Amino acid sequence: MKSIVQTSVAALFAATLLVGAAEAKTLVYCSEGSPENFTPAMNTTGTSFDAARPVFDQLTEFVRGTTKVQPGLAESWDVTDGGKTITFHLRKGVKFHSGVNGFKPTRDFNADDVLFTFNRQWKDDHPYHKISGGKFDYFSDMDMPDSLVSVEKTDDYTVVMKLKAPNAPILANLAMDFMTVQSAEYADYLMKIGKPEQFDQIPVGTGPFQFVAYQKDAVIRYKAFDAYWGGRAKIDDLVYAITPDPTVRLAKLKRNECQVMAYPRPADLAEIKKDPNLNLMSQPGLNIAYWAFNVMKPPLDKKEVRQALIMAVDKSAIIKEVYEGAGTPAKNLIPPIMWGYNDKVADYVYDPAKAKELLDKAGVKTPIDIDLWWMPVQRPYNPNAKRIGELMQSDLAKIGVNATLKSFEWGEYRKRLQNGEHMTGLFGWTGDNGDPDNFFFLLGCTGDKPAGNNISKWCNAKFNDDMAKARELTDIAERTKLYEEMQQIAHDDAPQMTIAHSVVFEPVRKEVVDWKISPLGQHVFYGVDLK
Amino acid sequence: MLKYLLRRLALTIPTFLALTLVTFVAIRLVPGDPVEVRQGEHGIDPIRLAKLRHELGLDQSILHQYWDYLVQLAHGDFGTSIRTQTSVASEFFTLFPATLELALCAMLLAVIVGVPAGVFAAVKRGGPIDHGVMGISVIGYSMPIFWWGLLLIMLVSERWELTPISGRIDPIKYYFDPVTGFMLIDAWLSGQEGAVWDAAHHLILPAIVLGTIPLAVIARITRSSMLEVLSEDYVRTARAKGLSPFRVIGLHALRNALIPVVTSIGLQVGTLLAGAVLTETIFSWPGVGKWLIESINQRDYPALQGGIMLISCLVIMVNLFVDVLYGAINPRLRHGR
Repeated sequence: MKSIVQTSVAALFAATLLVGAAEAKTLVYCSEGSPENFTPAMNTTGTSFDAARPVFDQLTEFVRGTTKVQPGLAESWDVTDGGKTITFHLRKGVKFHSGVNGFKPTRDFNADDVLFTFNRQWKDDHPYHKISGGKFDYFSDMDMPDSLVSVEKTDDYTVVMKLKAPNAPILANLAMDFMTVQSAEYADYLMKIGKPEQFDQIPVGTGPFQFVAYQKDAVIRYKAFDAYWGGRAKIDDLVYAITPDPTVRLAKLKRNECQVMAYPRPADLAEIKKDPNLNLMSQPGLNIAYWAFNVMKPPLDKKEVRQALIMAVDKSAIIKEVYEGAGTPAKNLIPPIMWGYNDKVADYVYDPAKAKELLDKAGVKTPIDIDLWWMPVQRPYNPNAKRIGELMQSDLAKIGVNATLKSFEWGEYRKRLQNGEHMTGLFGWTGDNGDPDNFFFLLGCTGDKPAGNNISKWCNAKFNDDMAKARELTDIAERTKLYEEMQQIAHDDAPQMTIAHSVVFEPVRKEVVDWKISPLGQHVFYGVDLK
Repeated sequence: MLKYLLRRLALTIPTFLALTLVTFVAIRLVPGDPVEVRQGEHGIDPIRLAKLRHELGLDQSILHQYWDYLVQLAHGDFGTSIRTQTSVASEFFTLFPATLELALCAMLLAVIVGVPAGVFAAVKRGGPIDHGVMGISVIGYSMPIFWWGLLLIMLVSERWELTPISGRIDPIKYYFDPVTGFMLIDAWLSGQEGAVWDAAHHLILPAIVLGTIPLAVIARITRSSMLEVLSEDYVRTARAKGLSPFRVIGLHALRNALIPVVTSIGLQVGTLLAGAVLTETIFSWPGVGKWLIESINQRDYPALQGGIMLISCLVIMVNLFVDVLYGAINPRLRHGR
């Protein structure tokens, strides 16, 4: 009898779904992989961030398609105490998703949820700190423990954050996925029923889409959240069809089995462009590939030698041959889509004769031997470091510089570079929060120590001072002035050769309306519609 | 019979131990460890690295880690995935039905097509059918699965639009919670109109791709076994008695010729599971193969070790079953003669 009832209920539900499906707007996104879980604070991959993003909000958020920061769950904030105190005024009337995993919220979002989000990552003794492994990589990577003094609430809708030093970029950090605000009440509920690990597997948030189900490695389903504080999403259902192979993703897109696909293969771009049903969108990526010179190792301690090496390499050939149209030449550390970019900097010109002259001027007798490290993995900013290394090697030979190509396993490679064991090495960076400081710190003096991120081991007092000053300012125009100056200094002193910013491509079906590429590599479905 | 079974069971213990050692060592020979592989350009602070390695027990000596692993296995615990922080066994058994469903369909296809093809080739020995079947089976056996899968997708799904491209069911039209994990059964249980057909439709290409190699092997073994049997005296006697060719081949010859074919089907389980790793990746099939690939990429030691151990157990069990079956059929084996 029970089974008959179950079957009837299931059939009725299915019938309702089918009727609904005829009218509902469902967008299918062919994603590239499976999420580790649905708590971005514990993850480091874009795949996992993308899977959690529809469900959640942050205190601040990025304006869709840009790196500009706008109010999110914090309606406004005041910066006082010379930039060392930030008071957040929280948005009222924000609802959490109801009915997911049997949880029915009894209150709206408030300061307790913000404190939960900070303290879970920050405090070792927080009841949820150790749940699901307790690895909060981004919180550490973005220096949050070293930046924060305290985060406290003064009432249910006011949170005061005290900092050790003025730190304007922290507002952008708060818009990042790892600072996704989660429900403290849901956490308590799961703790009470003895299933706290479900907190990271079955997400409850305030975001534009409510989580429906995740069938491991196959499909993630969401539905529009009717009570979303920013207004209901234009699509009704959102489905992530996990499709690891890029050729298959494209085939599905062409057959309209999905409407947006992640990460096309560069080799397929020409075919996508030709397809009348597809719209290939592109934008320079928020990243940089560079060739770092270890200034601690002679003769690279001489500026002229570094400049000579830059001028000996034909950058345009690299862009053409290795990036195959999916890269733009870089003349600064930050990409041109980022505020603070100094377009007045004149890039070094490929000129082997001048390079040789510079070597002579520096008193370097050719031939000389250097090592040239290439990373063993493909990165968003560098599709083939080995090939770039080979092209450079042949260019350098023309001015009497014998470069020996060298590589290690990725973890080992990064560690050795950061320890400064190389003479020259290929490396790069992908921006985390859209703030220029998140790029310039790569050349800061604190990073020039062993294990530091400044792999040129270059320390310029003026550059470093300007960077520190810019962190204290919240005015974008004033910060821009300092950053422009820093870009000129880095160009003139040449601690690295900036090679390229990759171009990000995102193919979508023509039926997709108002799709915007995120410079931060995010896939954002709120605001998107279907014709 | 019991003695024979116990002897066979005892023999699986060293196999099992050797497997634990091989999987344990092999994954550790791959450069990079589970903590470091998570880090991008940021790198990781050495103190934090040491802390995380300690939490995962990676700072212990290899022997110590191996011993811990064996103790854990002896308790029936396959560990917790580093990547997802969920139990390896629960992940495996969530995904395994998808792999099993695909493997069974692939094997069914291989038998249904492979056996008759082998019989025809043997009966028409030296003729165009024989050459054709053998030629195709060589091609099938030597074809890279990845290439074959993509080729079929491009032709059958993309150009001719005959089958869906990937996945197990249309996610827009059909939605139901998994009950058994077997999509065909779950689709039937859901009662949604057209769901079973849609699930079967999604199975066609992956089953063809995964079934190609076993099909080629089965066709060849059936052929050679049939050729041997067809020259036996009893077949000649049957023919001399005036039995129809259908009865001679179908009843007298094929039944005896099938014994080595059954053995080879047992041995194909390993091939099927190995092939599933690639087939699942191409067809976005959420099975254990795709999961293992991701575990390798992420150096998820517990998931990889546990997954391989569970698959190995399965292969060992199937082989044991085949051996026992053989013992039952052939008394000489049972008595160790």
